[in-house]
Amino acid sequence: MIEQLPIINLLLLLGTALIIPLFKKRPFQLSLTLCFLVLLTVLVSSVFLLIHVLEYGEFYYHFGNHENLIGIEFLIDAFSAFFTVFVAALVLVIYLYSWKDKTEGIENKEFGRYYILLFILLFSIFGILYSNDLFNTYVFIEILSITSCAIISIKRKKETYTAAFRYVMLNEIASMSYLLGVALIYMITGHLNLERVATSLQSIWPLYSTNIIIAIGFMTIGVGIKAAIFPFHIWLPDAHATAPSTSSAILSGIVVKIYILVLVKLLFRVFGMEIVEALHIKWIMLILGSAGMIMGSIFAIAQKDVKRMLGYSSVAQIGYIILGIGLFTEAGLQAAFFHIISHGIMKAALFLSVGVIIYYKHVQKLKDFEGIGYQMPISMTVFSFGALGMVGIPLTSGFISKFNLGIAVIDANLIFFLIIIILSGLLNVVYYFPIVISAFLKDNKEMQKIPHIEKVPNIMLIPILTLGVAIVVLGLFPNLIMDIIVSVVATLF
Amino acid sequence: MIILQKILENINYLGGIALFLIGLHTVVTHSNLIKRIIGLNIMGTGVFLFFVAIGNVTGGEPPIMTEDNIGAIFINPLPSVLILTGIVVVVSMTVYSLSLVIRIFETYGTIDQKELTRLISEQNNHD
Repeated sequence: MIEQLPIINLLLLLGTALIIPLFKKRPFQLSLTLCFLVLLTVLVSSVFLLIHVLEYGEFYYHFGNHENLIGIEFLIDAFSAFFTVFVAALVLVIYLYSWKDKTEGIENKEFGRYYILLFILLFSIFGILYSNDLFNTYVFIEILSITSCAIISIKRKKETYTAAFRYVMLNEIASMSYLLGVALIYMITGHLNLERVATSLQSIWPLYSTNIIIAIGFMTIGVGIKAAIFPFHIWLPDAHATAPSTSSAILSGIVVKIYILVLVKLLFRVFGMEIVEALHIKWIMLILGSAGMIMGSIFAIAQKDVKRMLGYSSVAQIGYIILGIGLFTEAGLQAAFFHIISHGIMKAALFLSVGVIIYYKHVQKLKDFEGIGYQMPISMTVFSFGALGMVGIPLTSGFISKFNLGIAVIDANLIFFLIIIILSGLLNVVYYFPIVISAFLKDNKEMQKIPHIEKVPNIMLIPILTLGVAIVVLGLFPNLIMDIIVSVVATLF
Repeated sequence: MIILQKILENINYLGGIALFLIGLHTVVTHSNLIKRIIGLNIMGTGVFLFFVAIGNVTGGEPPIMTEDNIGAIFINPLPSVLILTGIVVVVSMTVYSLSLVIRIFETYGTIDQKELTRLISEQNNHD
């Protein structure tokens, strides 16, 4: 039975996406409840899979019982099980928030369609994480591309169309590059299964080095465009700033990370350390990561719109993750994976608390945030916790990830990058703290007379409070997930 | 002469790469949004040609088993099958981006990227 759970997860998500249109005539509450139950089931079964995998080790799912030479294969190990739990849990929280937040330009009749897209998006994410096949990954990546563009353009506003168009163009160039890389690998190995490709690449690497170099270049750039690694980030701020708040949280917290995980899979499981070291990919990633950390923060300082600022901040935080992966040590990967989790939670908290403010006040410019802490204490407090986490103040999860990253950098004897981490942290202070200060600490007598009532539905406040608590809990007890991350990293070496 | 021979031997691969680059050039340099989408399709065709060309085996027969050709050399059918999926994906991507272009034309009245950039920056300055 437990071997069937991954496919049941996928079918549940896909099935729900197909069922939602049938409920059109019924009260909308019914399909909302159904979706909630499905998400809960998927979360529970993912947790179950994770526990099973940690106890008994990895297992394979063969479609139609064909062996991996001719068939498609799913690999369920600590890596995929852990990240599916993360995705399912975060989406569940964001989903609860999205129940009430209809003000953001999504029309009422489109709201059902939004959930169709959301569930297909989740389906493809689970597929990418489980899949152990290069071409199958490509198909899931394409599904993810279309749905993630569509949850931006579903909002009927002028700017979303151009942002989504730019996103879709770059996405498609990236997919084509990835597919060309797959073609080059298939040309020399004759396999698409990750493990078979890896074994044959090891033996033919000196013979066909040109093919492998071109393939690794195309695939890394393809996935890099989608993951918004620094020079390829131009689509991200527009796309994340114009999307509805829930979509921004999903795109920034989850979707971008999934592509980074695909990159990790490619570098560690397909090409292997020998090829990666011979091509100096380590240095390319370290330099791109640190450039992203600095430039993303500098761009963010110049922004006037809070969501654009958060988008550029994502570029900087992706730089941290790439830096951690680029070290190619166990400590570096652990720090990077921890930062994937903590950045996902913090960015979701930031985007959703900004979403509450937009819902209530209809403002999105930074100058309108003055004194907003008195009017909306709860959401602004969560925003402040997220901001503190981004800067890396102790007691938040952001501190733990930066601390681990710093230690990993010192272990690898690359002190120069420690300076960049600290510099980037200081730059984060420059653009996050003014918002918090102007929201809470401006001495303004009039502001204090405004009653502290947030006329925001509870169903929107509970998710952001959960995320705020999660930031602090992970900051105080990082070992809750660090032990699992250690065994996740162990599967890659 | 040897170079010419090499080119003729690998003409499929070269054609695939050439189409890929032509498409990429169109996507990056043209300011008309429809032309960009056409460029994407050309790019896709290049990759598909490359992928299908991999499956070719010199002197191979079409992979249909009959009583006559048992033991013959067949070409590899797998790339062609994979590319069927790829074509479907690119078609859906094209449909989605064309529908976006329709929306852009309805709201801004133009499908020229330079014109769009001008309109958007004017609007931002106005705010």
